[in-house]
Amino acid sequence: MDLLQELKKVVGDRATNDPAELYCYSCDASYIKGLPEYVAIPKNTREVADILRIAYRHGIAITPRGAGTGLTGGAVPLAGGIVLDMSRMDKILGIELENLQVLVEPGVIPARLNEALAPYGFFFPPDPGSADMCTLGGLIANSGSGMRAVKYGTVRDYVLDLEVVLPDGSIIHTGSRNLKSASGYDLTQLFIGSEGTLGVITSARLRIHPLPQARAVVLAYFSELDNAGRAVVASLSKGILPSACEILDKTAILVLKEYDPKLELVTAEAMLIFELDGVESTVGYYSERIIEVCSSLGAFYIEKALDEISQRRVWAGRRLVGVAISRLNPNKTRVYIGEDIAVPLRNVPSMLRKIREISRNFHMQIMTWGHIGDGNLHTGMAIDTLNDKEWEQLHKVGDAIHRAALELGGTVTGEHGIGRARGVYMDIEHGKSFEVMVAVKKAIDKKNIMNPLKIGM
Amino acid sequence: MISHHIRDIIKCVRCGRCRAPCPSYEVLEWESTGARGRMLIALSLATGLFPTEHMLTGLNTCTTCDLCKELCPSGANPRWITVLARRDLALKGHRSEAQETLYTRVRDYGNSLGETLPRRNWYKGEVLLKGDYVYFVGCLSSYRLPEIAASNYEILGRFDVALLLDERCCGSPLLKMGLDATELIEHNLSEIEKTGASTVITGCPGCMEALKENYHLKVLHSSEFFAGIIGELDLKPIELKVSYHDPCHLGRGSGIYEAPRKVLKNICSQIEMAGHKEKARCCGGGGGVRASYREISIAMAKRRLQDSPEKAEYIATTCPMCKRNLTDAGGKVLDISEIVGMALKA
Repeated sequence: MDLLQELKKVVGDRATNDPAELYCYSCDASYIKGLPEYVAIPKNTREVADILRIAYRHGIAITPRGAGTGLTGGAVPLAGGIVLDMSRMDKILGIELENLQVLVEPGVIPARLNEALAPYGFFFPPDPGSADMCTLGGLIANSGSGMRAVKYGTVRDYVLDLEVVLPDGSIIHTGSRNLKSASGYDLTQLFIGSEGTLGVITSARLRIHPLPQARAVVLAYFSELDNAGRAVVASLSKGILPSACEILDKTAILVLKEYDPKLELVTAEAMLIFELDGVESTVGYYSERIIEVCSSLGAFYIEKALDEISQRRVWAGRRLVGVAISRLNPNKTRVYIGEDIAVPLRNVPSMLRKIREISRNFHMQIMTWGHIGDGNLHTGMAIDTLNDKEWEQLHKVGDAIHRAALELGGTVTGEHGIGRARGVYMDIEHGKSFEVMVAVKKAIDKKNIMNPLKIGM
Repeated sequence: MISHHIRDIIKCVRCGRCRAPCPSYEVLEWESTGARGRMLIALSLATGLFPTEHMLTGLNTCTTCDLCKELCPSGANPRWITVLARRDLALKGHRSEAQETLYTRVRDYGNSLGETLPRRNWYKGEVLLKGDYVYFVGCLSSYRLPEIAASNYEILGRFDVALLLDERCCGSPLLKMGLDATELIEHNLSEIEKTGASTVITGCPGCMEALKENYHLKVLHSSEFFAGIIGELDLKPIELKVSYHDPCHLGRGSGIYEAPRKVLKNICSQIEMAGHKEKARCCGGGGGVRASYREISIAMAKRRLQDSPEKAEYIATTCPMCKRNLTDAGGKVLDISEIVGMALKA
């Protein structure tokens, strides 16, 4: 029996090697490409386990994939083999308000989970820009976070237990229903951010949080980018804890205006978006404090108390600003390289200066925005992707950004992961501890079938 | 040739914003059946991949609803690319059975349904052949849903709107499936010219799009016309709760959202569906999907019915295809012209 027949025995018509389909699964949102030999769409844990047993027996690579919205090639099959499309395991299996948790399959889209939780007055705080399109499995596997991480933390703070199928097809649980446990190694944290290199997540038990009573948004515009960075550091060091704190530079503001003209944004060198949440009085109090800080640091225009519809528009635009840069020039397309560095908060203004310096040195426009409140900055470059020289230059710019972040004590990825695109920096960033990671990988995935050639392995 | 449009295809950065909401992807399983997948398929076709079963199914299950374009942050146009890719395949001789059938029906009978009966069987009155306005009925209203043709013309006839002596299919189904419609367009243009009309009125958003984009005529949807003359009609409010389904080709296609709502507001109560206006979910019938993949089309319609609020007694719409597909999926659906007709008789 050939491999396709074996796969069809498990999932029926949900397995294929049709060349057009393989092409559709040969990329994510990054520039990395690689053709699989097969694609299979499992619908339950048993099917995943059966497929992994087949792959283990044949020694063939498995690449788990959520919605394919990753920015690093994490879901791109670089060693051929089977792509496991997990996005059809998309059920919310249980909402347990009394335990403050939910049980979900990995294909659930975060925004859909929050729609389901809203009537109960709860939400799942990790809020990536891709909340409308990524999957929770992908978010967990990449240790994602998003705009509210400054207050609510990353996905790491919300996973209680994962059901994982190991490379040999055996099934484990990494945690439990308990909100805390001091029992043994924390395997849950090991699998979060493992990018499919250790096993396949088939369900996740997640903590949820009560929805805040009130939310307010403050927009502050600056004529100098540095001052915006200083305003953030000053706000946070004064004990103000916003639920989101985002920065957009001049180009990002332009892009947002182009994407949604109804937003009526002001042209500036930089804009900060603060969101405060909690009870109404606290939200009001801290909004005023933020306005004071921003005014004292040179904000030339401040807008607050936007209504709920306007708030939603601001966030909807902000979520997609990274992609929308492609709108500025019909011949240029956004490419994700060097787009997710994070540095210690104190070094944010230095990093912003470094990015401008790199932009000047390489003669390439770099749009900067991101979760400045937790030191996570995104950069965006658009190039003519049919021009090899522009690609070459882009890679140099990406490399310079990564190295600048590392020099400032930062990391090459705050929330998008390593995948293939940043594997080369693992050794530099982690030194000896990268050897421990390699040893863990070898211990769990003896045949190296789980998403090979990723995270620098 | 699709290979001339590589720049338009690579405008898509594969962010996935269009993936989950794509109505065909919602009911199918493969990446190739969503808008992002279709952009990749178009790219593979443009770079020389030979057509495969998944390629044809992927391209031909697009309802051309345009939700992808509406949502796309980078400004890509997957519907347009999909239709270009279909055309490319058709020119290379890769036509599906449904495309062949459609082509033959239109060529032999002048309508997309293969009907041999007279096109104007729905109307027994005296035919006005000259006027400032002419009513373009469309295939579905002429043959499958004559109640829509009759109710539209009952109102339009009061305003001396003419009819075409020999109307044929507008060509929209052919164009959306990547086939040629030049002869039909030339024929209908000549018929329209004979009426002396400066404006064409139609109750079918598919016809409307074609008449605008391919005939380059001044076109009004009947709901726009009704909204303009509503004060001149002796309408009585009726006890009816409806939710309005925005047809893709009227809403996102032609930007008409308010006129139907204005008409309904004058007659009955209207509750919005879960996805409405620019974000409305497709009924599943467009782009040749109903003709090629009936089960898939009905599955999409069932999904759309779930968007209707429980309080709504009927779904109101402004498109014969939407009415037909949503009705076949188990919905209670009325065309806006029928609701206006009810208010006239109340």
